[in-house]
Amino acid sequence: MSIMQAIICGVIYWLAEANLPFVGLWTLQRPLVCGFLTGCVLGDPVSGAVIGGTINLVYLGFISAGGSMPADMALAGVLGVSYAIVGGLDANTALAIAVPLGLLGTIVWYLRMTIDSVFVHMGDKWVAQGKFKKLYLSNVILPQIFSAVICVIPCFLAAYFGADYIQSFIDLCAGKPLQIFQIIGGMMPALGIAITLQYIFKGEARIFLFLGFMIATCFGLTLVQQGIIGLIAALIYIQVTDNNKTTGIPAASSQAAVGAVAKDYDPDED
Amino acid sequence: MAKNTSKGKLIPKGALLRAALIWETWVQTCYNYERMMGMACAHTFLPVVKYLYPDNKEKQVDLMTREMEFFNVHPEFGSCILGLAVSLEEEKAMGKDIPNEFITNIKTSLMGPLAGIGDTIWQGVLIPILLALCIDITLSGGGNIWGAIVYAVLMLLITYIFSCANFMFGYHAGSDAIMDFLEKGIINKLLKGASIMGCMVMGGLIVNYVKVKCGLTIDTSGTTFSLQESLFDAVLPNILPLGLTMGVYGLMQKKWTSVKIILLMVIIGVVGGIFNILV
Repeated sequence: MSIMQAIICGVIYWLAEANLPFVGLWTLQRPLVCGFLTGCVLGDPVSGAVIGGTINLVYLGFISAGGSMPADMALAGVLGVSYAIVGGLDANTALAIAVPLGLLGTIVWYLRMTIDSVFVHMGDKWVAQGKFKKLYLSNVILPQIFSAVICVIPCFLAAYFGADYIQSFIDLCAGKPLQIFQIIGGMMPALGIAITLQYIFKGEARIFLFLGFMIATCFGLTLVQQGIIGLIAALIYIQVTDNNKTTGIPAASSQAAVGAVAKDYDPDED
Repeated sequence: MAKNTSKGKLIPKGALLRAALIWETWVQTCYNYERMMGMACAHTFLPVVKYLYPDNKEKQVDLMTREMEFFNVHPEFGSCILGLAVSLEEEKAMGKDIPNEFITNIKTSLMGPLAGIGDTIWQGVLIPILLALCIDITLSGGGNIWGAIVYAVLMLLITYIFSCANFMFGYHAGSDAIMDFLEKGIINKLLKGASIMGCMVMGGLIVNYVKVKCGLTIDTSGTTFSLQESLFDAVLPNILPLGLTMGVYGLMQKKWTSVKIILLMVIIGVVGGIFNILV
């Protein structure tokens, strides 16, 4: 890996991590996408997408809510793909190496969330002085420069120096250890699926997990075909049950919240 | 509220759209623990504030200062709150007696439910389903790049279109409509349908991508009996991946963190691999 390639890997990580929504957040942060771009940089886009996609299975339903970040999937994607391409690893081994790296990456997120408060106070000052245009400086430019520093440098170092060692590390692991990596990598996607199930494996939808499992076991469809069957099943189910008054998952919380709003809401304002 | 005032008197359409785009684009560029998205709120008002108080700098400063306060929501689902805040500020600027606390209260009381619904639907349903489908496209037939591109393009389009439409909904419809929407249960029906589809997709995902194979063999009078081939594959293939996934699900229900589960998997993998229980 050349120095330039390693720097671009760092830049991809920064764009993915720094929540610029038009490139990051919901798109580039996913290992499927940032792995694909890392693959482009290293001259093997297809491997990048395949390995990134495999790593992404672990992070399917990862939720970052209220400023928490359970794992840094962007770092796992960029470093996992670059190590895999440089070291010639298969997807499951890359997955087993990338996931622990993703846990380390959360440090970057928490550092950023903490330090960014400094820029808010600059914003406060400029707003009080009526210099609203400077919000671009305090809300975008300065925090993003800071993010770039804490993202690009560690990721560049890890990509550049890590890749040197990955080959000898894998040679060292030949045989049983490598097989264990593959076993672990094969199990990891269960975590991503289980996290997603926390949100959708509820009430009447539960049985459809087993229906989907049986359909896939018996017929071996592609997931897109299975998704279309799932969509039709959902529509049929809702049409059939439509007459019954149904209460769904977030009903309780939204009702309570509406109640809270109603308290503050003054009808005389109309 | 606000049904008897005509809208759009002060703010031109272009400025409104620019505000919506600023919100969606820069909402988390300075995400921080102190105010979360507070500064992004003020930033959203940047293109509209000069139309509200054209020659009163003091009132402009007042408005921007109260918009700098703590705010945290799901960016796309919460954009209607920003639209609502803009419309309330506009009415206030047009001379209606709306206390500052009312605007702040309505913002903070709506952000909870919209963040909850938004995070669940967006990160718990929409992204996993779309990702699962696109990962499958990418990994099919020896691998290709289309899944990654389709996912990125679709997600960008959904994000921007939904966020801007939601912003305009909040601006034009007002707080009553948002409350109605939360109460009526359209969301619940949508969520149930999406959960059914999501469960079907996850069922397929378990079969295709979770790999657990038992390597135990039993020797009986000269013949070797492989548990995987003669028992699991004969009775129900993929029963082990399903069991593992449900096991992890059960642990998560018991509040195990993902870090703990990853550690557990590493231990199972190492022990299972050394003793050839797993292959």
